[in-house]
Amino acid sequence: MKLFSTQIIVPVDSNSVLQGALEIRHVLEETIAKFNLGSQVSVVETGSLGIYDRGVVLAVFPDDVYYGNVIPSDVEEIVTEHLLKGRVVSRLAIDRSLSFKRLVEKESGKSQQKIVLRNAGLIDPENIDEYIARDGYGALAKALAMQPGEVIQILTDSKLQGRGGAGFPTGLKWAMVAKEQSEEKYIVCNADEGEPGTFKDRLILEGDPHSIVEAMTIAGYATGAHVGIAYVRGEYFMSIARLKKAIKDAQAYGLLGDDILGTGFKFDIEVYRGGGAYVCGEEFALLESIENRRGEPRNKPPFPPQQGLFSKPTVVNNVETFANVPSILLNGSDWFKSFGTPSSAGTKVFSLSGDIVNRGIVEVPFGVTLRELIYDFGGGVKGGKHIGFIQTGGSAGTVLNDKYLDIPLDFASMKAYNVSIGSGVVLVAASDVPLLPFLAEVAHFFWHESCGKCTPCREGTLQVKAIMDALVNRTADPASLQRLGVLLNLLSDTSFCGLGQAAPLAFESALRNFQSEFDTALAESHVPETCQEET
Amino acid sequence: MELDNVTRPAGQAQPLSDEDKRFLRELVETNRIEHHGRLSYMDIMFDLEHRYGNSLPGPVLGEVARLVGTSPAQLNGFVTFYTMLSTTPRGKHVIRVCTSGPCHVSGAPAILSSLRQLLGVDIGETTPDGMFALEASSCLGICGVSPTLMIDDDAYGNLTPEDLPRILNAKRAGGTQ
Repeated sequence: MKLFSTQIIVPVDSNSVLQGALEIRHVLEETIAKFNLGSQVSVVETGSLGIYDRGVVLAVFPDDVYYGNVIPSDVEEIVTEHLLKGRVVSRLAIDRSLSFKRLVEKESGKSQQKIVLRNAGLIDPENIDEYIARDGYGALAKALAMQPGEVIQILTDSKLQGRGGAGFPTGLKWAMVAKEQSEEKYIVCNADEGEPGTFKDRLILEGDPHSIVEAMTIAGYATGAHVGIAYVRGEYFMSIARLKKAIKDAQAYGLLGDDILGTGFKFDIEVYRGGGAYVCGEEFALLESIENRRGEPRNKPPFPPQQGLFSKPTVVNNVETFANVPSILLNGSDWFKSFGTPSSAGTKVFSLSGDIVNRGIVEVPFGVTLRELIYDFGGGVKGGKHIGFIQTGGSAGTVLNDKYLDIPLDFASMKAYNVSIGSGVVLVAASDVPLLPFLAEVAHFFWHESCGKCTPCREGTLQVKAIMDALVNRTADPASLQRLGVLLNLLSDTSFCGLGQAAPLAFESALRNFQSEFDTALAESHVPETCQEET
Repeated sequence: MELDNVTRPAGQAQPLSDEDKRFLRELVETNRIEHHGRLSYMDIMFDLEHRYGNSLPGPVLGEVARLVGTSPAQLNGFVTFYTMLSTTPRGKHVIRVCTSGPCHVSGAPAILSSLRQLLGVDIGETTPDGMFALEASSCLGICGVSPTLMIDDDAYGNLTPEDLPRILNAKRAGGTQ
């Protein structure tokens, strides 16, 4: 193996490619060759560093220097100044706190804690050896030396809860599948990330796909399953390619296949693609889709652990949930519980988007507040404006005002304060963004994504959309808010699956926190005469 | 029973050539091997869209239904459920503009109306030259660089309306293969 004195990290992910990362890498390699530095400097491609608003970012190690907004013509200066002469190009250097939050640590005592993202941005996701060098597949080896029940016990003790939104205890889910008597069982990874504002699963799959392969294999051993299926969003081309490469490489190393690590345990993983249907994030709709049917949910119970894919016992876990598993097995449940709060162990990956200075991904222990996420990690609202509203948890989440900034976010506070965490969305809108058109868009989203199977959701989302459009256009009739309230109750009480049940959250919370916006719209409304005659 | 052509404009239905039939047979068999004896209709449909100009012609679906052992109605139900698939002919390049929350806050409505104007078509329509189909999409999962859109497999972010003519022209120029 060659030893290099300096490494330049180029994050290549869906976001950075848009900003020209591949061209920068190419120019960098050429320039390094031109100055004959090829034997000392290596260019390493990694997944995202979680920095999105600084264009193409380069990191130089061991110097720990980060350059942002790099364009191809800057590359020669970086090479000749920094690599040849050891002088930092201050014009391009950015504060590393943007990625590792040193600054934030100093100011608020909070820092990122990377469990799920421990490798993202540090290793080449397409190189299995780099994953192994960071203890990769060590958890699998450890698990295979234990009894399946012991593996599940560690997960149960760790209090890991599902990160897809529902927060079901992972250990309990695995135990339910393990105790089912069946020759055929399945491990399914839900990578149909579709909650608007969520882009964490993409980052995990693009930055550290082997962690998912390893965790699914561990789940297979613990529950007695031999087939894993990852259902990835159809639009996630890079995630699909990197996951498929990871599976192939793991097979070549005997980490997947008929005799894993010589233990006789058999497990393999296949990738299925989604077709652009939000409802397929619902576990039964997802399983229906894998079975080549329309993605419509099934009756519960029985739940997937009893009758899931092809009516066999099935574990369905979110990408982020799986990504926690290897670290928990390696470091133990007490280590994991040392992060977070009594009700919520570990960390949560938050996706910061909207009118926020540092849009991107942060992973922090549960108990973090919105103020810390928005002002410390996110750098505040763009243009120094005030917060208009915040949507947490995604479109199927809550719309909040700035009174909620200091509530610690965990599973307990969610219930106590009516704050959704869901998949970890924090969407910030500045004070000049009008609320009602935004809500109309949310209503449009649910109407479009409703699968149409049950009447409350199919017709209810259409009616909510009509009322929101009327409020925006100032054509709402006086009874419309009352009707909206009835509709929202109907949706949450009688919808067949989580989509319709969660659709009201945004509107209910907006009505609670921004009542005056609705009242104003109603007061300014004039019902068109034609409509008056009809009703 | 073959799928009839109600989903295709009259006159475009061509009986399948032997080459088409061979292609479809091989496609289904390759898929079956890849999925260890199971099938992924979605993979098959994506491959078909690549071959048949971003849509799924009725006769092709009819033949595939026969090959996978399902009814044309079942298969039609499957393909019409998923937003990414289309049974009506679409332009050479499919533009998907994200309209969900984060992109909405960052200016997606302006992007969408600029595209409508530039292309002269509305959502769900294809330009008269057959080059672009304009679609509105739910969240594309690249909210870190909103507002965003995808053209075919390529994503674009941090968009302003001023960026759009350049992006469209580049696609037009590069899309002549």
